[in-house]
Amino acid sequence: MSKTQPQSTFDPPRDDLAVHIQHLNYFFGAGDLSKQVLFDISLDLPRGQIVILTGPSGSGKTTLLTLAGALRRLQDGSLRVLGKELVGLGDRALVNVRRNIGFIFQAHNLFESLTASQNVEMAVELTGNFSSKRDQAVAMLSALGLADRVDYKPQSLSGGQKQRVAIARALVNHPQLVLADEPTAALDKKSGRDVVTYLHNLSRQEGCTVLMVTHDNRILDVADRIINLVDGRLESDSTPNAFVHSKTQEAIAEVSADMFIM
Amino acid sequence: MIKRIPLAWLNLTHDRRRFATSLAGVGFAVLLMFMFNGFMNALYDSQLQLLNRFNGEIIIVNRLRTNMFVPRAFARRRLYQARAFDGVQDAYAMYISEVNWKNPETRKSRGVRVIAINPDEPVLSIPEIETYRQLLKLPETALMDTKSRVEVGPVEPGIISELADRRIRLVGTFTMGTDFASGNGNLLMSDQNFLRYFADRGPEEDKRSFATVDIGVVKLEPGTNVERMVNVLRENLPNDVLVMARDGDNGFVIRERNYWQENTNIGFVFSLLTSMGFFVGIILVYQILYTDVADHWAEYATLKAMGYKNGYLLGVVMQEAMILSVLGFIPGVLVSQLLYTAAGNATGLFFQMTPERIVNLLIATFIMCLVSGAIAVRKVQTTDPADVFLTLTQVLSQVSS
Repeated sequence: MSKTQPQSTFDPPRDDLAVHIQHLNYFFGAGDLSKQVLFDISLDLPRGQIVILTGPSGSGKTTLLTLAGALRRLQDGSLRVLGKELVGLGDRALVNVRRNIGFIFQAHNLFESLTASQNVEMAVELTGNFSSKRDQAVAMLSALGLADRVDYKPQSLSGGQKQRVAIARALVNHPQLVLADEPTAALDKKSGRDVVTYLHNLSRQEGCTVLMVTHDNRILDVADRIINLVDGRLESDSTPNAFVHSKTQEAIAEVSADMFIM
Repeated sequence: MIKRIPLAWLNLTHDRRRFATSLAGVGFAVLLMFMFNGFMNALYDSQLQLLNRFNGEIIIVNRLRTNMFVPRAFARRRLYQARAFDGVQDAYAMYISEVNWKNPETRKSRGVRVIAINPDEPVLSIPEIETYRQLLKLPETALMDTKSRVEVGPVEPGIISELADRRIRLVGTFTMGTDFASGNGNLLMSDQNFLRYFADRGPEEDKRSFATVDIGVVKLEPGTNVERMVNVLRENLPNDVLVMARDGDNGFVIRERNYWQENTNIGFVFSLLTSMGFFVGIILVYQILYTDVADHWAEYATLKAMGYKNGYLLGVVMQEAMILSVLGFIPGVLVSQLLYTAAGNATGLFFQMTPERIVNLLIATFIMCLVSGAIAVRKVQTTDPADVFLTLTQVLSQVSS
């Protein structure tokens, strides 16, 4: 049931795509215990788009995100990130791909022992720019409105500020692809909104592609596209308006008179 | 200039109280190793305290005297014969005997070792002999070792008590320390007094006289080759005596140390205890490092996702291990130093902390922390960063919902 297309066709690489996924299958476990979580996913993310990935729990959203982020080894199909084929790459090669990707997670994952600036500098150190790391970090934090919090440690920052530091860390090296996993889930409405707005503005300025997994309906409007994943399969790929419209229709259909007649 | 953020140091020191506890833990392991190692060395070193004070390059003993415990004397003639050789400046006699000393306060008798010499001869490098020389020449006088065990009672000039059931007066003290053969303490007296106490102690006991000597100390002319002189004396003196250099690998002092190393379980017991301290340390440090890794799980995983290699994380944990080993070692050494002094005072044993021993234990501590680090880091290394995120995200979504 998994290999529905024995003769998969693969398109040649294209430069205008940040992520180019073709016929991707993914399994957890090995041998008899293996369980397929992604089924024949084909997806193109053009450069500069903000794409929201949504769907019910266990539908494989985070798995797809980690695959696009070169956090897992891949065997089947084709997954090109920033022009680099990830399928078949070893661990070392994957690490190098990751350096061009910015990650933002639900938890800020900042080192409590480091100041905001130092946390961001950890990312700059990967590029080897040791002399300018402080300046780069301060500039990025200032862009996110944290100029006066540069030398604060996470424990003296609010939740929204911490998440912005985490975003600064993800964006300081100007990645062409940003992967965000529930970046607003741990935040209140206003901080969540702020974070998304910063992400939106920065993506427009930097021209980078953002792939975001979220359940948060309040932020759907920033997206250029919304992709819905159900049980490891792409169910829909639409604009925010169409998505909201379809969801509303569904909701109305669900709350039909039938259930009361029962 | 490359200046990395010292992540290991900052992570370790971020929580001051935990850092202090961690250092105390490492320090305790270091202390354990120092104490057990210290007792072992003290037991060995203490055997040599008298031997190291012999004022001569060559020692002559009875061939049957395999260690200082064996009460075998040799003919004093051998010393006169030795004096006849070119290069020998002098040959001194030393008489040793075990006898009961009565504690003047409790009236209980305790065995002590009596060392007797001619006060006019520089047999032993003990400066107090010079100080009290005239008093030592008086009948029934002696010097008592201040490091004698408390069982012998007060050690101070003027004490009058009984030695071998005969009156004796302490005219002064000296400082040396006890060993296995010395019983509860050391008493130093003139050879004349030695005769008074030991020439005739009754039908059951050996009758001592100047005809036999326990230890012969041969003083060579300055610049004489010791090894050559030992060979000359060996060839020319009869076989009933053993001629040995005092120092050197085949010397008298080393022979005594080897005897105790080879004929007792001291080495085994204390080496076992020291290695137990070592393993306690490994477990302690592992616990500290593992807690750190577990607490910063998400952050370390984020570093991996950002593109840091396993090697970097391994480096961070190893740096933490090294910081702990060096900084934990310092309080460990200082407290051990205090305990060495205390233990030395309590037992009369010779506790010494030589630079070599400190370096050895520093290396042991280093290895201890590196082993712990290597175990702790395996967890970080073998984990897929994506797995960490997945678990983390799930856990956090449960918490927040």
